Order: sequence, then structure tokens, then C-alpha cells
Amino acid sequence: MAAIVSAAGVAKRFGNVVALADVTVEIDAGITGLLGANGAGKTTFIGLALGLTHPDDGRLEVLGRDPVRSGAEVRSLLGYSPEHQSLPPDVRAFDLVSHLAEVHGLPRRAATARASDALYQVGLGEERFRPVGTMSTGQKQRVKLAAALAHDPTLILLDEPTDGLDPVQRDDMLTLIRRVGHEFGMSILISSHLLDEVEKVCDSAVILADGRVAVSGSLDELRIRVGGWTVEVERGTTELVDSLRRAGVSASSDGSRVTIEGIATPEVLRDAVAHLGLALVRLERRRLSLEEVFLEAGVYG
Amino acid sequence: MTAPTGARIIDRGYRPYTGPRLGATGAARSLVRHSAQRVMGLRRTASHKVLPMLSLAIAYVPAIVFVGLAALIKNSSLRRNFLPTYGQYYGFVVSALIVFASFVAPEALCPDRRNGMLGLYLAAPLTRTSYVVSKVAAVLGLLVLATLGPPLLMLVAFVLQGQGPDGPLGVLALLGRAVTAGLLVAGVYTAVSLGISSLTDRRAIASAATLLTIVGTGAVTGVLVNGVGLPEWLIAFDLTSSPFELVRAIYGETGDLRSTPISALVAVNLGWILLGGLVIWWRYRRIEVTK
Repeated sequence: MAAIVSAAGVAKRFGNVVALADVTVEIDAGITGLLGANGAGKTTFIGLALGLTHPDDGRLEVLGRDPVRSGAEVRSLLGYSPEHQSLPPDVRAFDLVSHLAEVHGLPRRAATARASDALYQVGLGEERFRPVGTMSTGQKQRVKLAAALAHDPTLILLDEPTDGLDPVQRDDMLTLIRRVGHEFGMSILISSHLLDEVEKVCDSAVILADGRVAVSGSLDELRIRVGGWTVEVERGTTELVDSLRRAGVSASSDGSRVTIEGIATPEVLRDAVAHLGLALVRLERRRLSLEEVFLEAGVYG
Repeated sequence: MTAPTGARIIDRGYRPYTGPRLGATGAARSLVRHSAQRVMGLRRTASHKVLPMLSLAIAYVPAIVFVGLAALIKNSSLRRNFLPTYGQYYGFVVSALIVFASFVAPEALCPDRRNGMLGLYLAAPLTRTSYVVSKVAAVLGLLVLATLGPPLLMLVAFVLQGQGPDGPLGVLALLGRAVTAGLLVAGVYTAVSLGISSLTDRRAIASAATLLTIVGTGAVTGVLVNGVGLPEWLIAFDLTSSPFELVRAIYGETGDLRSTPISALVAVNLGWILLGGLVIWWRYRRIEVTK
């Protein structure tokens, strides 16, 4: 499958500040989280993908096209929801979404019909005729999402889409994003610094640190990237840990689970369990949480 | 229970869009229309409509009155003395233009930067250049309504009353003068207003600065020429009179600033347009939008 975003050695500087140093990454279709601490270069990367700023170095392709040379063509296939909440307060949500669909190239009548549909899909029924200024933060986020998807883009770029939402609104928004990604057939790139929300909604992640890609890949790949195994037995974890350590394997226990770090073959583990006569419940590759992946990648230094 | 006939399930699931996409041209056209609507206060509360409608009323009502008077006054020499010439009519339009350029036109640019719409527009097939061109086209189009509409109304009415220029060529020549004059005055005021508006995202500041610039050029040049005794051609910088002097020259009429060369009037007025355009271009080239 061709990558929807492909970057090779992309660098961007603002004066003396290096926003992106050497970003090389391939982002496939699906829902991808663009993770990083504040100032890691997430918004800069989105700006480059939109063709709003030009890379100082390297090559960037979005949907197979150069966003600088073919900016208008690329942007007609992109949806974008910015980080900020400030939208024209006196404009009705329906008028705003309809206008933005038109600005993305849809004929007037189609833009009107799709604005109505998009607002319905994001859960705004009668509220769509209210001025944006009278809406809650959650509703504004939905309006922004509707505006991003009304023209049926191939790729949607969401910059901090849950910013300012309470936990319930946040869960609703994440469910909505997942639905847009999986049911509507659009690829989504979510910029966020919240690991748990990326973990909930994304298929893959790109972790930026100091303007570089620290790690990237599907969440499944990222979770097992450090190697190791998890063994779960009914009883006898202490004996198993001792046995493994004697065999030169780095192991530690946590309740009924034994975690093996580093290189070990499953045969060694199986034999150790069998030798001790323990009841094996589970033997699987060690899976990290996204937070552990973050820490392993040295994002926080 | 009997099922009602004709009942059907309406699928509100997501439907992909397979229709035409109009690209950058459609985007620009939509932005021009939307900007013009917003500036005129359409689809907004009544308070937003007051100043734009007042501007147009100031520009059009005298023309309508003069057309009516022309129909009533049968004596042609009395009519000539009583009714203004096309060039003189701009004296009635100047206040409309000042109100529009100062208090209405900044709406086209300032709020987009303040409320983040600029980022959303530039994330569409628009470029910085096509965005600015669309905004300028919207404001210029509306100002042309005030600068070109009334003379055209008078021309059409006078021709219908049999008081217009002689023959089709005469009408065409006058039409050409009206279009040139209308575009020139609208261009100067658009450039000044949007040039200033591009420097601030606060509409009130843009309004005050535009008003001060337009009125201030009149006051400063007046002091320099009449008080300090500097050459009279400096009046060409007076935005409240210079464009209208040029208009009178375009109509072949003698203006009030007889000692100011036409070339100075042309150069200064084109200079205002160029300066405004350069300020907007410089400002929007540098502006950062992905925040």
C-alpha cells in the first residue's frame, strides 16, 4: 500500500529555532497519531503537509504529490481541523461548514447538502443553525470536524482535536474520530500530546522528539519493539524468575506474571516452566503501553 | 396494525462525494461571494447592515434625485446649471467612500486573522495570493457599486430621457470615462483600506487608522500648502480630493486644482494603489497561519 504521507530528511527552521531536524517517515492509510511533547514539531509537520510552509531541506509527499508544487491540488483532498477554538462567532455552524466545503471546490448546491450531512454525522442536529459563538467547546470541536470532512477528503489532519474537552466529551470525540476513520474510509492524522487518546483511537503512531522521528509504526509493532516476553503461570512465579535468572535471562515478576526483558527464545521459557512443573496460562511477546514506548524512545530525555 | 404504504427507511449513513470539484477557481469565486456578503452584513444581524447600506444610500440617493429633477426641469440651460456634471457628482460620493473604506471594508480582512479563518482558507485550494486577490476583488466590487453605479444610473436615465450624449459613440465614450473613473477611485480607496487592514487584526483599529489616513492626508497637505507655502501639487496626496480631481480630468472637466499637473495626480493615485498592494503582499507573504 502506498504511503499517504512520505517524508525523507525533512527539515524546517524558524530563524535559529530548529522545528524539524531530519524527519524521515512513511505514514500509511488509517488513523495515525502524531505524538510528541509541546514544541516537538507536530504543528510544523502539519503545516508542511498542508503546503502552508516550505521545508528548508528534504522531500515531502502527501497523497503522492508535493504539497508545495501542487498545493491547491493536495489541499483539495485534505481536511484540516486546527488547534484553536476561535471561529467566526456570528456565523451559523451550517453556513460555516457549507462555505468551507465550497472553498474546497464543491459546487454550491453540493456544499449545502454535504454540510448538512456532515453536521448530522458529527452529532449536531438542530444545533447546526446556531451561531458558532453560542456553542460549547465540544460543539465547536464537532463543527471543526464537520468542516474537515464535508468535502469528502482522502486525508484529514486534526490538530489536538480533544483540546478543551471534558472527559465525556473527549471520549465522544474519540469515538467519532474512530468512526470517521474506519466507517467513512478517510485516513486521519491526529496531532496530540495525549498518549491515551492516541492509544484508544489510532492504528499507528509517529513519535516526534526534538524535531526528529523517535519511533514510528503500527501500535502493535511499537508495543513489541523492545523485545522480551510475558509469561503468566498459575503459581510459582518466584521459582520461575529464579530459574530464568540462573539461566542468564533478565526476568522480574508482578503477581502471576513474569516479564522477560531482552533476548530470549520462547523455547527457553517453555522449558523452564516445564522443568518446574508449573501450569502455563499465557506466553506472549512483551507489549509496552504507549507511555512506555514514549519513555523507551527517550522522548522525555 | 397495517404498515403505511410508501414508508421507507432513509439511510443517513455516510455517503462519499463523487460529484465535480471546482478546484482553486471555484474556491476563489466562493471566497469573493462570501466576503462581499459578510462586508455588506448579509446573513448577519441588522446592525451589521447599517453602515454598508448607508454608504450605498449616500452614493445613490443624490443620483436618483438628480435623475428625477432632470425629468421635471424642462428648460435645458436651467437643467445644466442646476444639475451636477458626472465629474462633479463624485463630490456626493466621497463621503460614502470614506464611510465604506473606513468602517465597512476592514471587515473583509481583519476578522479572518483574528478568528482563525485565514488558516482554514489556506488549508483549502486557495493560496495566499488567491486569498488576497479574492478579498480585494470583493471590496473593489462593492466600492465600484458606489463609484460606478450612480454615474451609470444617471447615464442610462439621461439617455432614456433624451438628455444623454449624442449618438452611440458619445454614449460609449462617456461609458468608458465612467468605468475608468469608477475603477480608479474604487482602486485607491480599496488599496488604502485593505493595506491598513492587513496590518492589524483589530477591525476598530483598522477603521480608525483608515479614517485618520484619509482625513489626515487632507489636513496635512492643506497645512503644508496653505500654511507653510509648499508647492500646490502636494495636494495630489490629499485622498479626499486628489482622486476626484483626476475623475474630473477623466471626464474632461476643469477641476479645482488647476495648478496641479495631471501627471502628478495620476502618479500619486497610482502610487496609493501600488503602495496598498505592496503592503498587503508583504504582510500576507510573512503571516504564519498554522496556530
